[in-house]
This record gives sequence, C-alpha cells and structure tokens, in this order.
Amino acid sequence: MIGFLHPWLLAGLAAAGIPVLLHLLERQQPPTVVFPAVRYLVAATEAHQRRLRLQNWLLLLLRTLLIALLVLAAAGPTVRGGNVAGHAPSALVLIVDNSASSGAVLNGTPRLAELRDAARRVLARATPDDALWLITADGAPRRGDPAALGALVNRLVPSPRRLDLGRALATAGEVLAPESRPGEIVLATDLQATAVSPADPRVPVLVVRPTEPPPRNVGIASLALGAQPWSLDGGRAVVTLAGDSGPPVPVTVRLGDRPGRQALGTAGGSATVALAGAAGGWWPVTAELDADEFRADDRRVGVVRIAPVARVRWDTAERYVAAAAAVLAANHRLAPGDEITMGRLGPGTSIVEPPADPAELGALNRALERRGVGWTYGTLMTAAGATDSGSALGRQRVLRRYTLEPAGGGRTGVIARAGGSPWIVRGGGVVLLGSRLDPAWTDLPVSAGFMPFMDFLLNRAARGEVALIEAAPGDETLLPDRVTEVRRDGERWSVEGGAGFVPGEPGLYFLLADRDTVGALAANVDPRESRLAPAPDDQVRKLWRARVVGPDDAGGEVFAAAARGDLRGPILWAGLLIGLAEMGLASAWRRGA
Amino acid sequence: MNQVESPAGRARLDLLDPMDVARLGGLEFVAEGVVEGFLAGLHRSPRRGFSVEFAEHRMYQPGDDLRYVDWKILGRNDRLYVKQYEEETNLRAAVVLDVSRSMAWTGAPDLRLPKLAYAQRLIAALTLVLQRQRDATGLIAFDDAVRVTLPPRAQLSHWRRLLGTLADLDAGQGTAAEPALRRVIDQLRRRGLVVFVSDLLFDRPLALKALRFLRHRGHQVVVLHVMDPAEVSLQGPAEARFEDPETREAVVLRPKDWAAPYRETVEGVIAAWRLACRRHGIAYHAVLTDTPFGTVLRQVAASRPA
Repeated sequence: MIGFLHPWLLAGLAAAGIPVLLHLLERQQPPTVVFPAVRYLVAATEAHQRRLRLQNWLLLLLRTLLIALLVLAAAGPTVRGGNVAGHAPSALVLIVDNSASSGAVLNGTPRLAELRDAARRVLARATPDDALWLITADGAPRRGDPAALGALVNRLVPSPRRLDLGRALATAGEVLAPESRPGEIVLATDLQATAVSPADPRVPVLVVRPTEPPPRNVGIASLALGAQPWSLDGGRAVVTLAGDSGPPVPVTVRLGDRPGRQALGTAGGSATVALAGAAGGWWPVTAELDADEFRADDRRVGVVRIAPVARVRWDTAERYVAAAAAVLAANHRLAPGDEITMGRLGPGTSIVEPPADPAELGALNRALERRGVGWTYGTLMTAAGATDSGSALGRQRVLRRYTLEPAGGGRTGVIARAGGSPWIVRGGGVVLLGSRLDPAWTDLPVSAGFMPFMDFLLNRAARGEVALIEAAPGDETLLPDRVTEVRRDGERWSVEGGAGFVPGEPGLYFLLADRDTVGALAANVDPRESRLAPAPDDQVRKLWRARVVGPDDAGGEVFAAAARGDLRGPILWAGLLIGLAEMGLASAWRRGA
Repeated sequence: MNQVESPAGRARLDLLDPMDVARLGGLEFVAEGVVEGFLAGLHRSPRRGFSVEFAEHRMYQPGDDLRYVDWKILGRNDRLYVKQYEEETNLRAAVVLDVSRSMAWTGAPDLRLPKLAYAQRLIAALTLVLQRQRDATGLIAFDDAVRVTLPPRAQLSHWRRLLGTLADLDAGQGTAAEPALRRVIDQLRRRGLVVFVSDLLFDRPLALKALRFLRHRGHQVVVLHVMDPAEVSLQGPAEARFEDPETREAVVLRPKDWAAPYRETVEGVIAAWRLACRRHGIAYHAVLTDTPFGTVLRQVAASRPA
C-alpha cells in the first residue's frame, strides 16, 4: 500500500492534465487557411495519419506521465513491503513496559526478556536519520541513537512502578507532535488490562505483546493495620489478596522481626491476622505469600505506631467533644487523664479551640506566646468556606474561623487548611483549631468523619505524629509541612515540608521533623499490577487504533505504517527515463519530418 | 521593339521576378518586355524556337534542352552549341487556360502573383512570340465549363483582342478540363500546338484522356503545371484548418507534422504527371509562380514531341 509524506502535494496531479488541456485548446479553434491543394493534403494524411496519430498520442502520454511522476515524487511516496530495504526518515518513540508485572516469569523467562528482544528488533530497523526516544516505566522520554537506546534496553530490569499505558502513549504523542518526520509509536508491553487507558496519540501505534498467556498469580493487594496507634496490647492486620482465583494460599504477617502469624486467603478475599502487642514505637509490619511466578506482589510492608492510648481531660460542657470522647473511651481509644487537655490551653499537651467570647482571645494569645507555640489567633472570619481535602481531614464546611497567624518561627506545623489558610496547626506541643468544634462554626462535629478526626487529633496529632502515608514506587507524594528529612534503611533525603517526594523502591520511609519521627510512608507495588490478565487485542485496536503483533514480528512491522520504503528515487529515475525517451522520440520524429 | 526601363536600368524582363515584372505595367507591356528579352536571348532570331527544320547553331543558354546540344561541336571546339530549327509555316496554336477558383490563389500576396495572374502574363508573352512568327493563336478558358473561346488568328489585332480577353478573365468556380480540351479539336483542324495551362487540381485520368486524344490527332501538346511554391512546401500556423476554395473540403492538421509527407505527395503527383505525359508524347513542365517568365518560355520553346 502506497502512502505519502506530503499528500497535499498530490493536488498537483491536476497538472498532469496540462498537456492534454493544451492539446484540446489547440484543437478547439484552429484558423482556417484557404488552400487549393487540399486534395494533396488528404492524400498525404491518408498515408501517414495513423502513424502520426500514434506518435502524437505516445508523446502526449509520455509528457503526461512525466508530469504525473514529478508530482508523485514531490509528494514523497512511500510503500509498504518487505522487499523495500529502507524507510523514509521517521520519528519513533519506543515504549518498553518494564513495570512490575514485566517481572512475571513464564517457562523460566521473565516477560521483560521477551519485550527487550522485541525492542532490540525494533531498534535494529532504525537508521541514523531516524529520531528515536525510549520511554520506560518511569515515564520519562530519553532520546538517543539506536546504539545508545539499545544499551538502555539491555540494562532494563523490572521496575516496581506501574506504567499507565494510555498516559505513556499520550507522552509519546506529545514528544512526536513537533516532529515533521512521520511518527510512530511502538509499545512493547505485557498489555495488562489494568494498565490500559484511553489515549489519542495521533500517530500510528504498534503494540508488541507476548503471544503466550501470563502465568497464574496471587498477590497482596493491601495491608490494612486499622486505627493507629495500636495500644500496647497489639492489633489486627487485614491482608487483601488479588489475582487469579484458586485454592487458598497461606499469608504470613510479621511485626518487626517477630515470628510471623499465618492465615489462609484467596484472591479477591482477605485474611485477618491478630498480632501481639509490643513496646511503644514505630514497628514495621510485613505480609508475605509463598513465592509464585510473579514475586513483586508477594510481599507488602506497612508500619504501625504502638503507643498507650491518649489520656485526655475534656470539658463536659462541650457537647460534641464530650460525646466523641466518651465514645472513644468506650472503644479504648482514649482514657481519662492529664496527658492531653482538650478544648483549652492546659499545662501540658493541649488541643485548643478558639474561645467563644472574643474578649478572651487576647489573654489566650499572650499565653500561647509565653508557651512559645509560634502561632496565635488572628481575626474572626465569618465568610463560609471549606477545609482543603488532605490526609488528616476530608472536605468540611467552615462557617466561622479565626485566622491562625505565625509568630516568630511558627511557619511550619500546618495540619489542615481552610480556604488556603492554616486551620489546624501544631507548635510547641499545642494544637490550635481555627474553629470551635460546634456546628455554629463548622459542619465537622455533625459529620461522619468527626470520630476518626477526634481519634487522629488526640492519639496522633497531639503527640506530634502527622502522617502515615501509603504510596506506590514512582508516585509523587506530598510530605507534611513539618517533615525535614526522609530515611530508609540508612539512606537519608533532606526534604522541605510541603514538597513532593517520590519513593523509588518498595519499603518503609520514615518521616522526620528534626530528630522526631512524625510519620511514615509505606511504598508498595501498585495492587493493579497483581492482575496480569492482558487486555484483548480488539480492545486496544479500537482504543488506540493500533496494530497488535507478537514479539517476533516487531522488526518487520515497525516503520511499516509511517515510515515505508521511499519511492522518490525510483520514481525520479523513471521520470528521467521517460523524459529522455520523450526527447529522443520527439527529436527523431522531427528529424524524420 | 521597345526596350523596357526598369529600376535596374535596361533589364531583361524575361529573367526578372514575375512579381516585379507585373508591377511595371499591363499585360501588353509585360508581354512585349518579356518577349523582347526572350528574343534577345535567342540572338534576335524571332523565327526560331517552335520549329521542326534545322536552321543554325547558337550558344547554349541555361534552360535549353540538352537534347539539342550539338555534341560534335562540343567535341571539336569544347564549346556548347545547340541546334536551332526553322519553323513550319502557319502553325496553329491553341492555349487552354484553367480559370477555376483555385487558380486565383497565391501563398504570398505581397511576394508572388496568383497562379491565374501569372498564367495570364505568361500566355500573353507566349502568344506574342507566336504572333511574331506569324502563327495563328487561339484561346480557350474554362472552369467548370468553357468560359471563353477565341479561335486562332495570326493578326496582331487578334493578339490584342486575345490580350483583352485574357485581362478580363476572372477566377470561376470548379474545374472541368475535358470539355475544354475537346473544344480544341474543333478549333485545330490540322496539326498544331496545344498549350494547356492549369494547376491540374482535378482528376488526372479524364484530363489525360483528352490530352492523349489531342496527341493522337497529331497535335504537339505542352502542359504547363502552374503551382505556387506554397503548394509545394506546406507552411502555416501551428495547427490550421486547410480548406479547398473549390470543393470546400477541409482538413485540420499541424503543418509542422505534415510538411514532409505532403512534399512527398506533391512530388509524387508531379512525377506521375510527368511520367504519364512522357508516355504519350506530351511535354510537361512544372512551373512555380516565382519562376521568371523567360525561363518558362524557353522551356516551352524547347519542348519537342517525343
């Protein structure tokens, strides 16, 4: 099938009609010449008419063909076919899906090995005139020549990251958009159905996927450790399994280095394991399955904070706070005591609501300044707003609030915001709330999130803990404001609170504010990677208008759509030969005449 | 006889371009000027030319028939002489002129006379030569019918009348030569000279049949095939519709493409006429309208029956 680099130039084919048009125009109104010897003309034409007409038609044909060939050559014809050695200079983005699922092993060979072979076949077809990019699971396009990209491909290993194929195609399309050369995207992937998403890259897409079905797999989709902190009596871990259904598999859950506890679970179901108590502190929790053909999802880590429940003193006159505290106490999430003062500034750790009487605000601010909290109450805002959705708190309506003003070094420690301004802050062992926990100030006390919020506020925020974060490797996660450092197995990253952080590998990352551990980030393989079932070929054909081939056909199919064999050379040669033939015949016949 | 003054001085009008000669004056003036020059070329021997009895020798001039070269003199003196013959007395001649529409044509109006005008002047000169030999000269003009019949007479007044008749002739319509040639039979009861002047744009077999009949009656027949040079070499715009003025038959073609085949055809026609005439003892001369009158007169004078 013939394609063209500049198909709009084919409009010039109309010029091929010029010789015919001139011929017809000349024939239209020839002048009349009185000539007595017409009988001789008739006699002459009768003898030569047929030969001359043949000559004229042949010349007309040659000239028309010559113009048509020149126009065709200008349009840059390319042809698809295995017998055409080269291809026109093209722009190619090669996406090699080395996401976690590429580490699945089938018949002793990782899927990634097949994809690497296919990628090498594709690169072998490239020429120095092609513009080449490589995109892997990290999503970053890298440009290079075939040799450089081939070296990168050879070094590829399964990444713990997930690759959204639609997003990768969109990125490739953006890379190719400024290119004048015909573009093409080759996607070498195991074509997980969970990774397929819509995309319109506007260039031909060649999907290279393994021909054999993936191995059976069961993996850990999540490790839920319940409300935190755990009491010193221990807690329960709920492990959810994903993958192909089958017989129950044993799940082992381990707290720190302690002996593991086992339970049985099936794909799509969960297993609950009770873990014994331990000393207070941060404890890693590991859930593991027996090894199968896909190892990346056979282990999942989490972290649990073990501490005695908060001992709280609250004001029974505050209706909503008192009710919540009573419920939490009944569920052993807090106990009456003097550790934390709830609602006002106490002698130790306190959770402070703004006073109902504005006249008391000045005295409160002075007391905060004396305690070195770093924050004070500002002006009363009566315009309705909402909290910003975050890890500590969902979106809640705020009717009245005091602005929280930093004083001295109190610029960090924001736990929640409302309308972009600090609404809950912590400094110097004191948590300041911008609004009173009353429906006249905010909808929070009458919402479903009030009890978890109170639990968080008393057991974690008041104690300085700010976050327990779940993330997948490669995903950017916003760190809480107070965090200044991230640590993992001896590695340290200095960070700025509020900035993004990307965990590169699965594992536990502890978040520190100065010397205090204020949270943890558990990075685990995205649970969608556990479902290895591929998307049907028809689905991606429709979704991306792609061609789908096996790894062995990758080399033959690449450059077949956009970059085909360049026919300009042969056509120009043919045009030259036709031009010479026309000149030769016309000259010979003119001499004969 | 008056010598004709021309821009070139006392020139031989018989050797000048026919168009230039025609511009000098009327038929009579031109005829006398041409004949004067023609006779001067014949050593002022007016009674030579269309004869059958040997009279004397004269120097060879271009246009003389090589058959009359005296090879003995050439062998002895290394000089070219031709033999001249004394005419028979009271030769009766009839000039048959084609005045069809095609004869009014010229390929270059500014440069060349129409074929009819050329033929009129040529016949005027020819008949003057005959009149000076005391020969009786008649005229028959035809197109698609016989238009004029003037019986042969030898008087000078008759020649002037013939001249007047010639001058009044305009181009007619089609061409029908056979009736005109048969009319000659009525005019020439005994052996005589028939000069047939035409562009021969008609069917050759019928005309040849009549000419052959004349020849069988013992007449000396001379055919002057008058053609414009543009009828020999095809020219014109890139493409043109060529139309026959008589039949209105037309053909559209590109002269550049057809010049060579056309020339071959014309040459073939001339060759066919020449061959057919020779076969029947008829003198044939292809005359282009840019040929000086004197040259043609000499060719006619040198015409001998085969």
